[in-house]
Amino acid sequence: MKKPIVTVKDFSLTIGDKEIVKELNFDIMPGEVFAFLGSNGSGKTSTVRTLLGIYEATSGSLLVNGKRVTPKNASNVGYLPEERGLYTRSKVLDVMVYFGELKGMTREAAKDFSLKFLERVELADKANLKLKKLSGGQQQKIQLGVAIMGDPKLLILDEPTKGLDPVNRKLLLDIVDELQKKGTAVIYITHLMEEVERLAHRLLILKDGKARAYGTVDEVKKEFKSKSIEDIFVQIYKEKSTDLSTGVAHV
Amino acid sequence: MSKLRSVIRHEYLTIVKQPSFWIIMIAIPLIIAAVGAISYFGNKSSSDRIEEIAKDLKNVSIIDKSGLINKDVVAAGGLTLSEPQKTDEIREQVRTGKKEALVVYPETLKAEGTYQIYLSSDDLTKMSAVSSLGDSILKTSLFLPLGSKEIITLAQNGATSDVTIYKDGAETAGFNEYIAPGLFVILFYIIFAFSVGYMLTSVSEEKENRSMEMVLTYVEPRTLIVGKLLGVSLVTLTQVAFFAILAIIAFAVLRQVGGGIQLPFGIDFAKIVFDPLAIFFGAAFLIVGFLMFAGFMTATAAAAPSSKEANSFSAVFYIGAFVPFYFIMLIVTNPGNPVVSFLTFFPLTSPVVTLIRNAVGNMGTLESFAALAVMTLFMFVSIWVAVRAFKLGALEFSQTIKLSNLFKR
Repeated sequence: MKKPIVTVKDFSLTIGDKEIVKELNFDIMPGEVFAFLGSNGSGKTSTVRTLLGIYEATSGSLLVNGKRVTPKNASNVGYLPEERGLYTRSKVLDVMVYFGELKGMTREAAKDFSLKFLERVELADKANLKLKKLSGGQQQKIQLGVAIMGDPKLLILDEPTKGLDPVNRKLLLDIVDELQKKGTAVIYITHLMEEVERLAHRLLILKDGKARAYGTVDEVKKEFKSKSIEDIFVQIYKEKSTDLSTGVAHV
Repeated sequence: MSKLRSVIRHEYLTIVKQPSFWIIMIAIPLIIAAVGAISYFGNKSSSDRIEEIAKDLKNVSIIDKSGLINKDVVAAGGLTLSEPQKTDEIREQVRTGKKEALVVYPETLKAEGTYQIYLSSDDLTKMSAVSSLGDSILKTSLFLPLGSKEIITLAQNGATSDVTIYKDGAETAGFNEYIAPGLFVILFYIIFAFSVGYMLTSVSEEKENRSMEMVLTYVEPRTLIVGKLLGVSLVTLTQVAFFAILAIIAFAVLRQVGGGIQLPFGIDFAKIVFDPLAIFFGAAFLIVGFLMFAGFMTATAAAAPSSKEANSFSAVFYIGAFVPFYFIMLIVTNPGNPVVSFLTFFPLTSPVVTLIRNAVGNMGTLESFAALAVMTLFMFVSIWVAVRAFKLGALEFSQTIKLSNLFKR
């Protein structure tokens, strides 16, 4: 039996006086696309940052391959954050190689991968241009390249298709498909439910830091007696919410 | 270790690959040279013109009522002394433009030290030339009774003093002792002006371009901060080396062209003293002071939501580095003063004050070690605060982090 690559157990997070996440539990299997859903401010990004060791959990555990992620062992994790951005004053190839090195690759391997990736996404001629000379979509492709460098076992994509045209969106989803088939687990954060329906094996809907739906796509649909994930999402967010810090229900 | 090396290389290359870095590096010595040249040639041409005009000032009358002016001196300038009773008449000629100028040395000159010049126009150059002429006639007339040309020159220009200073019974090198440790003060300001700000920019930009989140996934904040500090330090070394090479080239060229150059304050290269202890403390205060300020700048950039706000907050550190110059005389002449002691140990003023006091040699070894220990402590505090602020503020893009949060778990 396969072991989960991600195990989140009784995870709670409080930053300052604000309770961001409370008692969250889920796991993700290798080769699985896991849709991590929720409205803005629901705690998704904070959960991901804690999983990556950027934030410290208030309680509970978040493990990747049975270990807490630290910069020392994060090389098998690829991350495309929601807050997009790279060093715009540096050259494309320099930036990719730098991140490759930070992920533990040798300079040569990082350069080799970068050139192949740029060829694949039709940006080979931009390798020696400064990033600021590239369009927003082109920069996003570079950032995806950085995320998938080093053959990650876990790939976290936070709204990866935001701002992409249909052609580049398809290219990105194809790359995700390929990685998933190779056994990479993908945490896929999005507000586009058709992408969830197309890609996800399982999903979790987070609201006010609490899991409100969790399971395979079919299980969740069955539980909510609905044929669409979008309807389920809307239904959850129309319900009365609970203020985690006070425990008082409000609309 | 390899990640640290990557961060250092990235920080270093990001700065030195920018055209603006080299433009500024090259522009500064060029501007200094241009200003120097303009000032030199401007002054030269202006004094040449005055001399030229003074030579042509034949339509000028000189009246002596003081009895101090020598008629031969006036005659040597191609002029003659006019009768004192013609003063009103000649002044009227000047007023109507028939005469260029009139210089009157009154009876009260000796008592009051004032003489009168009347000019037919408001031409500033002519005004300078007539003043120069009047002054020259007076001085030469007064010095003439001294006799020989050498004595007159000595009386006019004075003489340089050759000072011998004894300290604890032994002869010292005087001003030449201050030069080597004094260079660390200059170096500190060069580094402060150029490099400390790079830390602020580096962190602010990383926050603003949103690359921080990806970086922090793979690099410890401490490694990132140390890497940035070392990268910026290498940039500083590059700048210092560049300016040193330029200075050597300039010195060699000037020696070749000018046949030897006169250094200010009578500095003689051969007599410069290299006291190992003063050099050690100079280097230590410089390095520790730089790292302390860089740490504070990093903390400021990490805590502030944007580079604009970070720049505003950083003003306090720039003020701290310049405050000692308001107390410079006190620092140099009265090291025992409580204000000087406070400035010596207060973190924001400490680097500059200790460097100045080390240069002029009014800081004992024990006090130097104490100041260095306090500064080192604050350097570690500043780096700790920087790392802490970085952990808390690196991903905070909309608000400034609270100071109290820095000390919470």
